[in-house]
Amino acid sequence: MNTVNTVLGPVAADALGIVAVHEALLSVVPGAEHAYDVTIDRAEIFEILARKLTAFRDSGGTTIVDSTGMFHGRDVRLYEALSRSTGVHIVASTGMGPEEMLGGYFLTPQTNPPTPWPAEKFADLFGKEITEGMVVPRVERRGAAGLVATTATRDGMTATDESLARGAARTALITGVPVSLRFGADAVRDLGIVLGEGLTADRVVVGGLDRRDAVAAGAPLAVARRGAYVALDHVGVDDDEHISDHERAALVIALVEAGHADRILLSSNAIGVAKGHPDHDLPYGYVVSSFVPLAQSLGLSDDDARRILVDNPRELLSVR
Amino acid sequence: MSRVNTVLGAIPTEELGLVAIHEHIGYGMPGSELDTRWWKTPEVRYAETVPKLRAFHECGGGTFVDATGICNGRDVDYYRSLSAKTGVHIVACTGFVGGDTALPHFARASVEYLTRQFVHEITVGIGDTGSRAGVIKVGVSRGGRMTDLDKRIYRAAARAALTTGVPILTHLAIDAENALAIFGEEGLPLDRVLFGHVDDGVNADKTRATWIAEQGGRIGFDTFGYETELEDPPFWARPRKERLDHFLRFIDGHLDKVLASADANCSPLGWPGVKGHTVNYIFEDLIPDLRAAGLEEADITTIFVDNPADFLTIQN
Repeated sequence: MNTVNTVLGPVAADALGIVAVHEALLSVVPGAEHAYDVTIDRAEIFEILARKLTAFRDSGGTTIVDSTGMFHGRDVRLYEALSRSTGVHIVASTGMGPEEMLGGYFLTPQTNPPTPWPAEKFADLFGKEITEGMVVPRVERRGAAGLVATTATRDGMTATDESLARGAARTALITGVPVSLRFGADAVRDLGIVLGEGLTADRVVVGGLDRRDAVAAGAPLAVARRGAYVALDHVGVDDDEHISDHERAALVIALVEAGHADRILLSSNAIGVAKGHPDHDLPYGYVVSSFVPLAQSLGLSDDDARRILVDNPRELLSVR
Repeated sequence: MSRVNTVLGAIPTEELGLVAIHEHIGYGMPGSELDTRWWKTPEVRYAETVPKLRAFHECGGGTFVDATGICNGRDVDYYRSLSAKTGVHIVACTGFVGGDTALPHFARASVEYLTRQFVHEITVGIGDTGSRAGVIKVGVSRGGRMTDLDKRIYRAAARAALTTGVPILTHLAIDAENALAIFGEEGLPLDRVLFGHVDDGVNADKTRATWIAEQGGRIGFDTFGYETELEDPPFWARPRKERLDHFLRFIDGHLDKVLASADANCSPLGWPGVKGHTVNYIFEDLIPDLRAAGLEEADITTIFVDNPADFLTIQN
């Protein structure tokens, strides 16, 4: 039986239901927890997230993936309590990136010279978050990560971003969890780095493929052809950087018509609670309740809608 | 009224006693908390730390200045408990060891924001501990030159020092021309700055300690004990005699500008630490070496009591 790692333990993949693959629960810019003007009120954060997760459930969603990695506010104990309280399956992630988001421990270690961490050390760090449990810093390990997420620098993958991506790929090879890759400047190139480690493309989701530059470059189709999952994961965002929902829906249909219905994923990168950066206060259920009906009105079939919302994330998240 | 902020509240300068001016309860690079290889139970942490502070106190140590920056595992609640149970005054810092230890929230911040952060930690408190910082830590990132972020932190520290009267303590004194230019532009008297680590094995040759002192800066020989003679010396170690001779040459003419410390970790957070090296090197090795070299007791008092008292006393 295929299972998926959730914060409350392995869950049968068939039980996931409708999944939001690229979202954030608590999102804290590294360091903001020490800022004089940032307050971390756990009870308040819980209340807000529980309300949003309940609304997600009420709109038909059943599983949410916090894809922010291990160093951007992830709070395993809070997520366990939220999952128990709301009934929504929560998949937490390991991984880090881009380089700018890392602590000095990884970039300027206390060695001479201060050589940044190589891929194998990241693979070890991330892998243990699956085999031994996710870290509650300096206290304990709890649960297993269900995804290893990494992000490349927007202007292009740096050397350390590449170490992170290769480390994430090795983690996936060893542990069987999938890789989430938010590409930098060139989606196909960055995917190639991950696949260069010998990981098969169906273990990778590439995020951000509804960026205008990616669409203009034909990246969504190219990534699907390579066999990786194509995440159009800014649903609900209409800005200079991303295509609109109408364009997004047309892209979904075009990908389906090209034979890639089994490679599409939809999500919003909504942020439940943001600390140290602007929030993105979109309902987690926006994809299900607003976007999919739009796509259906433009011709997306019910079967393909279900494939995109249920089957594809189930296949991606199943530990192999 | 002269006062110094400690983690248990302000104390009169007169109560400081002998000061270890640049030390660490426990230091780790930001992110090291994610790597379980360094984790220790609280039982082990207290077991490693309390005897060192007790020995410091029994040897006549009065005040331990913790130079662990904001993102380096600074843990003020822990320091409060250590201070209350051992009787050692502990001064905590605000600021950063260097730009490369400031996490993204601060790395992206403006000088104005960083100034507000430092002033808040000095005048209101650190987090929700109620403890106020007594010094501001700044430093030069790895690589030998001040980065743009290092410079923003120095400038913010200068403004916070002027606003609050709390002094600045630096990690490394290389590239001092840039540091002095910033302090000059901000109008901060250089006797409010302790330029530290002028004696470390990597940087001593590149550090213009005499020049800094002649401009009015205070000078920290504060990595005493990191010696090449150790069983497993760190890369910044230096031969014991070479460092001592450097110090003795320097105090001949600059005794009023000098401070000394060991930069030891009681219980390191994100690195192995250096076996056998503790804050008590000051009593076990350094002060005996200074006596053997002919220093008078009055000189030793100047270095470890009077100069730190002048430096740490809040100016307002």
